[in-house]
Amino acid sequence: MITLSELEKSKYKNVWVVAELQAGIVLPLTAELIGTARRLADKRKSEVWTIVIGATNQTHPESLFHAGSDTVLVFEDAHLIGFNDELEANLLSRMIRKYLPEILLCGATSRGRAMIPRVAVETFCGLTADCTDLDINLETGDLLQTRPAFGGNILATIRSSNHRPQMATVRPKVMIPLSIDATRTGRLIYESVEEDDLHGIKTTLELHTGNESTVNLSDAEIIIAGGRAMKGKAGFDLLREFAALVDGEVGASRAGVDNGWISYAHQIGQTGQTVQTKIYISCGISGQIHHLIGMQSCDLIIAIDINPDTPMMQLADIAIVGNLFEILPKWMDDIRSDSIKKPAEAVDS
Amino acid sequence: MKIVVCVNQVPATNDAKIDPETKRIIREKTKAILNPFDTYAIEEAVQLKKKFGGEIIALSMGPEKAEHCLREAISVGVDRAILLSDPAFGGSDTWATSNILAHAILKIGKVDLVICGKQAIDGDTAQVGPGIASHLHWQQATQVVCVNEFITGRLIVDRMHENGLDRCALDLPAVITVVKGINIPRVPTLKGCLASKKADIPIWKHADLTISFDEIGLNGSPTRVVKTEPPVPRPSLTVKIAGTPEDCIKQLKAELIRRKQFALKSR
Amino acid sequence: MHKSIDTIRKRVYHVEILPPKQDSEKLEADLELFEQKYRRIMENGYCACITDNAMGLLAFQGSELIEELNLPVNSDQIMIHLNTFHTKDNLDNILNFCRQAGIESLLIITGDGSDRLPKLTPSNLGETDIESVTSVELLKYIHRRYPGVFSLGVAFNPYEPQQQEFAKMERKLMAGASFIVTQPLIEKNHVVDLLIETYPLIPVTIEAWMSKKLHLLSDAVGYSIPEDAQFDPIENLKQLHRVYPECGFYLSLLGFKTQFDMIQEIWNDEKVNAFPREAK
Repeated sequence: MITLSELEKSKYKNVWVVAELQAGIVLPLTAELIGTARRLADKRKSEVWTIVIGATNQTHPESLFHAGSDTVLVFEDAHLIGFNDELEANLLSRMIRKYLPEILLCGATSRGRAMIPRVAVETFCGLTADCTDLDINLETGDLLQTRPAFGGNILATIRSSNHRPQMATVRPKVMIPLSIDATRTGRLIYESVEEDDLHGIKTTLELHTGNESTVNLSDAEIIIAGGRAMKGKAGFDLLREFAALVDGEVGASRAGVDNGWISYAHQIGQTGQTVQTKIYISCGISGQIHHLIGMQSCDLIIAIDINPDTPMMQLADIAIVGNLFEILPKWMDDIRSDSIKKPAEAVDS
Repeated sequence: MKIVVCVNQVPATNDAKIDPETKRIIREKTKAILNPFDTYAIEEAVQLKKKFGGEIIALSMGPEKAEHCLREAISVGVDRAILLSDPAFGGSDTWATSNILAHAILKIGKVDLVICGKQAIDGDTAQVGPGIASHLHWQQATQVVCVNEFITGRLIVDRMHENGLDRCALDLPAVITVVKGINIPRVPTLKGCLASKKADIPIWKHADLTISFDEIGLNGSPTRVVKTEPPVPRPSLTVKIAGTPEDCIKQLKAELIRRKQFALKSR
Repeated sequence: MHKSIDTIRKRVYHVEILPPKQDSEKLEADLELFEQKYRRIMENGYCACITDNAMGLLAFQGSELIEELNLPVNSDQIMIHLNTFHTKDNLDNILNFCRQAGIESLLIITGDGSDRLPKLTPSNLGETDIESVTSVELLKYIHRRYPGVFSLGVAFNPYEPQQQEFAKMERKLMAGASFIVTQPLIEKNHVVDLLIETYPLIPVTIEAWMSKKLHLLSDAVGYSIPEDAQFDPIENLKQLHRVYPECGFYLSLLGFKTQFDMIQEIWNDEKVNAFPREAK
């Protein structure tokens, strides 16, 4: 395997962030990655570059300077509409060979997870997925990449000492963005798609097929989840009502999905999604291990169950013993009446 | 259609419990099982073969006992299986693993489609599928929820992402990774299990693949694990709330304030 | 009336046997053991009751085992469990096989699911108004598809809230259940007494726990049995015979080394059969 000598490694500089976009609009995850990139770049005394692949007139690259980038590199091309993983990977690989970044951060989203492994293979780089912490080893200058493994039972720290760039993906809501500085500016570079980049790429036929309304569990700050205890689709409607009220999202255990009461896109657990949200409200989910693995890292876990002794009630920070079909409506009434009395009140720390 | 399904053995989690004091998952002596996502990959291959004819080969990289999951694949309708097992493969990260699998796929020859489960439940990086595609310079589609059409040389699939679905056309040969919801995996039959026990599963070693020593195992892995440690423990105290619904809400609010959590408010 | 219902009315011992698990390391040996147990049950005139992925653990089907091992089928000596965790195709195959092989007696339960087990959907069974499939819908489906072919039994759990359990039983009987098997009893149980009183025409078979492993029994009955409690399964069975002389018994976790012969003695000793047992 091609390994780099110290001299060769020293040619690689700067921390790159691959911007996370939806139809050209920059998503919040990008600012979170830039915040981390800034911290790492400061330790390496280098720059933060944000790479925008698929810009449109909705993109506003100057917002990326405000978020902390020194350089923004933009691809704007009709071929980039939708998500073409092969093309994006080809472009990113070519940019890496051209500009030699030392570190590359990307979102651990469907898009990132599809695209970045191709880039890592193409450029003979190490890639660590779902990092919960990133830091620089001050002795060697290497990137220390920390991620949970074995269902969250251990934290592993990983290094890619002999290859550059060192690549890592990070889930939404894990890292913290910088405060926006509207006076910040930087350098804007426009790059173009070349003929060779288009070699061997797929064809997108249709965007957003199906009636699936979008479910974005990884972006939610509050998730309210149910399973067998929902007893049917109606139970999940109650959760949807709560979620809509607090601008959260609905999650489900495997039982809820297997029974056909809610779609797989909402499933949380080993064979569904893993979430690290601020507040996780479990409604009658007993907490089998394959579900707990999907949500045990949430900041605050509130469990409601008629049974006080389930694994979920043991794991929870707050365990409410009671009938969720009585408690949730009361809670919602309370939230609504609070907003009417004191609309701006929030007890924030 | 010649299909290769990449499967993996992972530790079972059914035997694990939660330690109420540390709130961590305690794994008992874990059994090895077929990675749950791979059951969807196998089922999809079996259904495609039923529709379009062809051959299905299951491929796995692992220790010798991993042949168990290959036999499970045969018991539901996969035609044959190959195990990649060699101490030299040990220590491979996803770069090296996808490299080894890609070379095995080349050796199998004339493969139209590679199907993988979205990710392994132990490593859960979801990197191997796209890695294989990249090593082979093939197109890919990840998180496929439906294979719509197969016309010679082309496959039309629906893939799932945070914003819904999209439909794309892949030029074959290609790699797809599949998720739950694409099909309902069949359960092995007794006939199938008995037949699979008789199946001959060749073991391919390093020498059987034209792949250099520095592209496998630790030497072929750009990443290294340098440290492992237990995770930061959750606070062990669980605040218990009970009473009438009104009581519960009162206590809940007080507890949220005490924790300096924002009281949930309507947006 | 079906021969199988006669067997129940005659209170012939129903002996439960579990098929080998799918992940068995020694499948051939397990199959041999299963065959031996099955044949012994046949020879002694009892009824073999074969479970369906008990506790959600993937095992082989009774129908597959009978077919592969060429086991003898006497319609009054076999009962197969059938739960709702199957694909429709698989369900129809099992029912078809049972009909052709002459297996009449099916114990219909909702069952326990798991990651690997598919579940019947309401539309699979022609239902539109329900949220998920239970034993009730399965009962209706079987009677609709195969009228007059099968004798369908259902489970009764005296340890669940009484009102709900009786309401469920009403629904099960309306859907066509013709016999009942209870959860394990270790003493006279007033809820089972009420069940027998409420449905005098429906035969009730009582499950007797034949293992000394109490913690498993605690799980089944839903209350903790003290660790040091002395539990003699054979004494328990004798006691249940005395307390429920009109009921047959479903023996779970029966040991085939010593217990099997002991129950023969109980059967003879207690003179529990109202009808003379035919030699087989």
